[in-house]
Amino acid sequence: MERMGFFTDTTLCIGCKACEVACKQWNQLPDDGFRFTGMSYDNTGMLGASTWRHVSFVERPAELPGQGSPRDGVEGGPRAFGELFPAGQPGPTSLLGHDIQPTRIETPVALGPTERALSRFSWLMLSDVCKHCERAGCLEACPTGAIVRTEFGSVYVQPDVCNGCGYCVSACPFGVVDRREEDGRAWKCTLCYDRLKGGMVPACAKACPTASIQFGELDDLRARARRRVEQLHARGVGEAFLYGEDAASQPGTEGLHAFFLLCDRPEVYNLPPDPVVPTAKIVRSWRSMAAGVVSLAALAMGAVFSARRA
Amino acid sequence: MDHMDPLRRETALRDGRNVDPAVGRLAGEGSTQRASPRRAAAALARVERGAAEREARAEEAEGPSYYGLPVLKEPVWRWMIPAYFYTGGLAGACGVLGAAAQLAGGRGTGPLVRRCRMIATGGALASAALLVADLGRPARFLAMMRVFRPTSPMNMGTWVLASFGALSGAAALPALLPVPRALRRTGDAAGIAAGAVGLPLVGYTGVLLANTAVPVWQETRNTLPMLFAFSGAVSAGAALDLWPPAGPGAEMARRFALVAKGGELALSWALHREAAHERVERPLRRGAPGALLRGARVLLGASAVADLVRRTSPALRIASGVLGTLGTLALRFGVVAAGHASARDPHATFALQQAGRGAADLARKGEEPGRMPAPSGIDATGEESVEHGAIP
Repeated sequence: MERMGFFTDTTLCIGCKACEVACKQWNQLPDDGFRFTGMSYDNTGMLGASTWRHVSFVERPAELPGQGSPRDGVEGGPRAFGELFPAGQPGPTSLLGHDIQPTRIETPVALGPTERALSRFSWLMLSDVCKHCERAGCLEACPTGAIVRTEFGSVYVQPDVCNGCGYCVSACPFGVVDRREEDGRAWKCTLCYDRLKGGMVPACAKACPTASIQFGELDDLRARARRRVEQLHARGVGEAFLYGEDAASQPGTEGLHAFFLLCDRPEVYNLPPDPVVPTAKIVRSWRSMAAGVVSLAALAMGAVFSARRA
Repeated sequence: MDHMDPLRRETALRDGRNVDPAVGRLAGEGSTQRASPRRAAAALARVERGAAEREARAEEAEGPSYYGLPVLKEPVWRWMIPAYFYTGGLAGACGVLGAAAQLAGGRGTGPLVRRCRMIATGGALASAALLVADLGRPARFLAMMRVFRPTSPMNMGTWVLASFGALSGAAALPALLPVPRALRRTGDAAGIAAGAVGLPLVGYTGVLLANTAVPVWQETRNTLPMLFAFSGAVSAGAALDLWPPAGPGAEMARRFALVAKGGELALSWALHREAAHERVERPLRRGAPGALLRGARVLLGASAVADLVRRTSPALRIASGVLGTLGTLALRFGVVAAGHASARDPHATFALQQAGRGAADLARKGEEPGRMPAPSGIDATGEESVEHGAIP
C-alpha cells in the first residue's frame, strides 16, 4: 500500500476552520465546551482527545510578503513582490499561482493611518494535526499494542484495545494525543482511516477551500512541497521552509507523514524546533538503571554481611 | 449553554456532539467517545489555568511561543502513579534485601527474610491495585500483557511487576500458612528469584519517566533510575524500622537504609546538575515541586541523623522510619509534580531544543537514534500489523 500523508501549506490557510468542523462532523466527535479563550480568534486552543484538527492564529507585528490588501495602495502589502511587480502595476493578490487571474489595481492609493498601522502586521495560520511520525513516540511507548502503524503509514489508536494508561500522552513530543476523561481512552487523528479504507480523501483535506491541506502519496507530496517553497522564494517570501518533511530535516522523528510549510520559527506556531522520540535516547537510561540496581544489590549484600552474626 | 437556541440545546444535552440520531447514525471514529456536559470544558479550563501562570511570568524576556500555551500535554496520571512508585520501590527493595539476607545473612536472619517477603508481597499487591485504579479503563489491565514490547518501559514494568508479585507471593507463602517441606524449599528459591526480579522493579520507574517528552524527566534520564533505586531502598529500610524484625535483621536494615539515604540525597542534587538548563531545571527548584523536593531532603537528612545516633532507642527508630517514609514519598511526588510543571511550560521544551539538546544531541554524539535491543522474533519498534481488530 502507498504511504499517505498531509502537506499543510500555511501560506494558503485563511483560518476558516472548515477542517476543524469537517473533522468533528465526519468523526462524530463531541464538543469541547463553548468558551472564549480571549487571546485570539483561536477558541480551540490545542489539539485534544476530541479535537483532531486545530487551526492556530498568530498575529505578528511583522510583515509577510504577499499579505496585505489592495487598500494598502500597494498590491499585497507595502513590500510584497517589490522587484517582480512595482507599485501600481498588476500583481497577484494571492500566492496560489499564476493560473489565478491577478486583481488589477489602476491607481495607487496613499497610505492612511489605518493602513500604516496595519502595514507592519501579518497573520500566520496553521491547521495543526497529528504528525503521524515515521518513528512515533506514542506507538513505541504504548504498552498494550493499541497504537499501530496502518497500511497507509499512519499511526492509529485502536479504541477497543486502549486501556487508558496515558503513557502515549506524555511520550508524544508534539503534545497531540490526549486521554478523554469521560471514557478513559487515548484519542487522536486517525488520518481518516475509515475514509482511506473506502478510497476517500480525509475529511479535513476534502473540506479545505484553499488547498492549504493537501493529501496524497508521501513522495508526491514532498516533491510538491519543495516546488512550492521554490515558488515562494522566487516571489519574495524568503522565510518559507518545510518543517519535518523527511528524516534529514527532522532526525528525531525520522520525518513526519503530516508535514508543514512555515513562514516563521516553529515555536511561533507552537511546534517544537527539534523534536525527538523519547525512545531514541532511552538505551543509556536503561544502562544507568542497571548500574543503579547493581549497586543497590551490592549495598544489600554489604549491609547484610557486615551485620551478620558469626 | 443558555445562549443556544432551543433546538441546539436539545441535541447538545442529549449527546454533546449535535448528531440527531433520527437523522444520522452514530458510527464515526469518535462516536464511541463518551460525552458529559459536566466536563465538557475540561480542555479549556486547562487553558485558563495556564493563563495565570503566563501572567506570573509575563515580565520575563522569553522567546516566541503560541500565547504561552503548553506545547506538550500534561501527564494525565493521578496521585496513584507516584504512590505506586513508592509501593513498587518498597516491594522491589524488600525483595532484594530479603534475598541478600537469605544468601549472606548467616544465623538469625529468618525474621528479616520473612518480613521482607511479606512486605514485598503486600507492596506488589498494593502496586497492582494502584496501577489498575489509575487506568482510564481499569477493566482492561490485562491488555498490558498482550504484547512484549521492549520499547515501552511501561510494558516491561508490567511484566516485571507481575513476575515479581508471583515470586514474592510464592516466597511469602510458607511464612503465612503451614506448608509441606518441599514447598518451603520452593519458597526459598522463589525468594532468591524475587530478589533478582526486584532489581529492575526498583529502577525501571525512573526509565519510565525518562522515556517521555517532558523536558525535566527526559533530561534527567541518567539520574532518575538510580535515584529511584535508592529511594526504593530507603522506603524498604524505613518500613523495616517501623515493623522491625527480631535478631540481627533490624541492624542490617538500618545499615541498608542509612547508606541508601546518603545515596538518595546525593542523587537528588545530581538531578539538578543533570537537568543543567535553567529553564528545564526550574520546576525542581520553584513552586510546589521545589518545596516537595526540599522537604524530602530535610526529612531524609533528619532520618539519617536519627539512624546514626539511635543505638537501641525505639523512639528514634520509629522516628527514623516515619521521616524516611515521608521523605521518600515527598521525593516521588516532587519529581512527578516537577514533570507536570515542566510539561506546562512551553519554553522548557523550546529552550532545550534550541540549545541543541533535542534530536541534535544524538547527531552531535555521532550515534544513530537508539533502538531498543530485542529478542529475535519480537519487533522492538512495536510496529504491528493491523490484523487484530484495528478495522473499525
